[in-house]
Parts: sequence; C-alpha cells; structure tokens
Amino acid sequence: MFKILRDMLRYNVEFAIGFVLTLSIFLFALAHFWAPLPDTAIYLLPPDMPPSAQYWFGTTSRGQDVLWQMSSAIWNTMLFGLTVTVLSRLLAVAVGMLSGYLGGRWDQALMTLNDTMIALPNIPILLLVYFVMRDSMSWPVLAATAALLGWNYDARLIRSVTLSLRNREFTRHAVFAGMSVPQILVRQHLPYVMPVIFFTAMNNLIWAIGLEVTLSVLGFSDINRPTIGGMIYWANQHQAIIAGIWWWIAFPIIAIVLLFLGLFLLAISVNEYIDPRSRLSRMGA
Amino acid sequence: MLNTLQAPTTTDSVLRVEGLKAYYQMNYFGVRREVRAVDDVSLTINRNEIYGIAGESSSGKSSLIKTIAGAITPPLRVVEGSVKFDFGGRALDVYADPQAMKAARWQNLSYIMQGSMNVLNPVRRVKHAFHDFAFKHMGISQSAFRSRVEQHLHRIGLDPRVLESFPHQLSGGMRQRLTIALATVCEPDFIIADEPTTALDVLVQQDVLALIKDIQQRMGASIIFVTHDMTVHAAIADRIGIVYAGRLVEEGPTLDVFRRPQHPYTAHLISSLPRIGDNKKRSALPGKPPNLADPPSGCRFHPRCPLAVDKCRSENPPLVVRQTGRVACWRAGEVQAA
Repeated sequence: MFKILRDMLRYNVEFAIGFVLTLSIFLFALAHFWAPLPDTAIYLLPPDMPPSAQYWFGTTSRGQDVLWQMSSAIWNTMLFGLTVTVLSRLLAVAVGMLSGYLGGRWDQALMTLNDTMIALPNIPILLLVYFVMRDSMSWPVLAATAALLGWNYDARLIRSVTLSLRNREFTRHAVFAGMSVPQILVRQHLPYVMPVIFFTAMNNLIWAIGLEVTLSVLGFSDINRPTIGGMIYWANQHQAIIAGIWWWIAFPIIAIVLLFLGLFLLAISVNEYIDPRSRLSRMGA
Repeated sequence: MLNTLQAPTTTDSVLRVEGLKAYYQMNYFGVRREVRAVDDVSLTINRNEIYGIAGESSSGKSSLIKTIAGAITPPLRVVEGSVKFDFGGRALDVYADPQAMKAARWQNLSYIMQGSMNVLNPVRRVKHAFHDFAFKHMGISQSAFRSRVEQHLHRIGLDPRVLESFPHQLSGGMRQRLTIALATVCEPDFIIADEPTTALDVLVQQDVLALIKDIQQRMGASIIFVTHDMTVHAAIADRIGIVYAGRLVEEGPTLDVFRRPQHPYTAHLISSLPRIGDNKKRSALPGKPPNLADPPSGCRFHPRCPLAVDKCRSENPPLVVRQTGRVACWRAGEVQAA
C-alpha cells in the first residue's frame, strides 16, 4: 500500500497535487475536534472582525471565528457527501451489475425502477421530505434520501459495462469452470467496473456536496449545524455582502473549490492505478 | 435412427454422442425461427484419442462442440439426443445430471474456448485466473496449488513468473500457452478445444500443437477439437469428422480421409489444399453453405454437389460404416479424390 502510494506520488503529478490538496483540507477539517469554542456557540467573540493575526479568517456577524466554523463546516459537508456517495454507490453497483449480468426479466424489472427514479425531480422531492419531516429532519435522513435519488444514472452506466463483459471469453470461461454468479460479479467483473465506480463516485460526491450546499443555502437543513451551505445561509441572513463582511462568504467558497479540485485530481489519477495498463506505461515498465 | 456407431461394443470410449440435435430457437416479435446448427450427430471418442472436427464457417462446428461441453446458453437448446462421458468407470450424462456435470468440470473435462487468447481477464493478474478456475476443483492447499501450477507451467515451457503478469504484458503465443496450461492444470480426462490455434501464426501454431499433443500423451487424455484449418487436422488428429450444414458427413482415420475421401464435400475440401510443387489453380466449390434456418431437402450438400442425383434431393443419406470410417452419401463409392 505504501509502495503504491510512493510510486503514485513520484510518477503522477495529478495524484501528488490532488493528494496534497485533499489531505490538507482533511487535516484542516479534522482540526475542529480541537476547536477552542463549541461550533454551535454564538456571540462569544467580537462580531465582524476582518482577517487579522488573532482571527486569521475574521469573525462573523454572529460572533464566531470563521476559521473554526469552516473547519467544522468542511467536516460536516464532507461527511454528508461521503455518506451519500457510499450509500448510492452500493445501490448503483448492485443494481447495475445484477441487471447487466442477469439480463432478462431481472434486467427489465430493475431498469424500469431505475428509469422511474431518473424521471423524478430531485430538489422538489428533497423539499417535500424536508417539509414532511420538519423537526425530525436530521442530516442522516437527508443523506439517505439524497442517496436514494443519486444512483440511477450510474446504475445504467455500470449496467452497460457489465453487459459488454457478460459475453466476453473470460466470463464464459468462468461460467464453464463453475464459478457462481456472485463470484463472477465480484472477482471477474468488479475489477473491470472499478474505474467507472470511482469516477461516478467522484461525480456523485460533487453532486452530493452541491446538493447539501443548495439545500443549506436555502435553509432547508439543520441550520444550527455548521456546514458550508449553512455558513453562506447565515452570511446571507446577515447580509454579509452588503455589509462588506466578504470573508464570511469568500473563505468557505475557496475551501469548497479547493476540496473539489483535490478530489477530482485524486479520482482521475486513482483510475490510472486501477487500470494496470496506464499505470505500467506511466512507470515505464 | 440407424445404429451407425463404429464399434458399439467398445468399452474404451470416453465420449458417446447419440442422435444429438441442438437448435437455436428464437422468437422475436412473434416470428419463430429455428436454426438447426447441430442436426442428428452421433459420434464416439476413445481414450487417448485426438478427434478433429472440420468444416467451413457457419457449418455448426462450434455449436456442436459447445453442446458437447454443456456450455450452451439460450437460444441454443438441445432438442434431442444425449452426450455421455465415461471417465474411468464414472459415467456422466451432460444433459441429465447437471450436478455431476458441475463436479466434472475442469476436474475431468476442460474447455479451451474460441478466442482463447482472451480468456484471461485483462485487469487481473494471471495467477488469479488459475485460482478462480482451477483451485476449488483440485482440493489441495493454497501453497500446494501454487507449486503445482508453477510445476505445470514449467513443463509447458513457461516461466512461472508469468503468474504475476497482466495478460497485456504477454505475447499472443504465451497467452495461448497459458490458456492451455489453464485447461490442463487439473489433468482432465477430456479436453475440448475450439479453434485453439486459429489466431496464431504458423510457427507459434506448430509450437502450440506440439504442446497439445505432448500434454495429451503425457496425461493420457482425449481431445476433441474444432478448426477449419485442414493442416492442423493433418498434424495432430487421429481421426477427423467433417461437418457440413450441422451434420456429420464423414468420419474416419485422418490419413484415410486425406488419401481417400468418401464424401464429395470432403474431396473438395482436401483438393483445395495447396501442395508443394503443384501450381494448378484451385477451384472453389460453387454456391454457399446453406441457410440452417431453412436447409435444403434431402442431402444438405446436394445444391453444390457435382454428383447429385434425384435421390440426393429427396432423401437424407444416413451416416453408415464404409471402409475404415463412416460416410453419409448416396454415391460414396463414386467419389474421386482430386
């Protein structure tokens, strides 16, 4: 594992940049566990202080340190995004691979469900869920709902890859050798589908973070829990841009852009590791 | 069906195919179509024998061999007949006992598939292919398995280091050897090979054929293989069967078939082979192989046959014993080797 990491850092510039960016943002987010003040506390610091030696990223109109708010916010946003990604990947891979490999009635049933889900509009459904749940709306419920809405396109994509694998020689060979369906799917096909899963996971992570930011900016989430969208929501509530408190909005946006960039570079270079041909050609082997 | 098996009393047969019919049955938008790819084939293969099946493209040879291997998927279905193996006293009826068939795969019966250079998963190391396909059939520990695979590769003339490679790092010939190694590592009693050398150039081909023959002799296995390349048949087959339009039209010891073909189709097939020093123009057989969804009546070869008479157009000739082999032709005695 360390050897792979070392090789990737040495031979792959995208990976090196992505790794450093993501790692630093992750460490920054991790730091919120050692924050001097609880992240939900307000009016403990002088409000509207511009960035200075004491408050690096300034303070908000609610008397919070932007630095520590951001640290918590990135952590929470990333947690939400990853939860959605993992849950929706499980669904997409299971549905896509089963549907593609089994074919026939299974394929018809699963793809009918899939296409129905594609036709559903995401934001109105999430708003509906929010208004129905109201006070019992917590971020895990929101994440589960988002995951249920976020797997369909990728399931179709994974299905198409599996469809092409189904008739390959190595699959027919595996069937003849008596491998069971789960064995074939996991051992023979999953390594092939892995780059697709990684890439769609990346897309999905960005989509999920974007969704969280959208809902939070509009206030349709737990507004007391700091998230990137939540910070922008409160900044808007206090008219930060008109009041000239630019640091309240600028820093969260810069942070999220850097996070996207880091994750994107990681995803494209991890693909290269998973596909042995491109890895070896890059290493000159 | 006439009992036309060569020697029905022999106990030394490993494979007996009787009256096998396998059709592609399709039903698209209410239109039923039936392609008779394997039509009433009977044959017997003995222990230690290499049996070659020859025929032109779309004559049904791959369908036949797939059906024998029990590796068919719809729309190809067995309509009638049976495929029975006998592995040293253990009988196996392929289409009657799926459980026994499952147990026999790889252990007793292995299959080198068409396009076998691609049986290795391109994104996994070669060792995983051995593990996935053969390990559970051997019933030995991981380390014993590993050393046995290495030993086997060594005998085949491959460096055991190839186990750590990905398929794209190996040459076509090496991949072909690996495929053969994969099919023979469990030392099966019966090997089914579908065009094992087709994609290779003649030198590698010769190499691979020698390898197949060597393995077969060492393990005492029987092999049935398919190829359209008559020179391959001449090189390794003990007996050959000629398939035309889904039917076995002639069968016999290789030398006899080459020297004295009894079926007009076989005669044409063999006369089309180039010979050193012979500059005569080779004439092609007129016409095309018949559409198996709507085969000609009587003998399926009659539209292209120079010897066809009225009887050929109406009655299907049975496969009967004649001289050292079997032939299905009303005018078998009148065929001249070119």
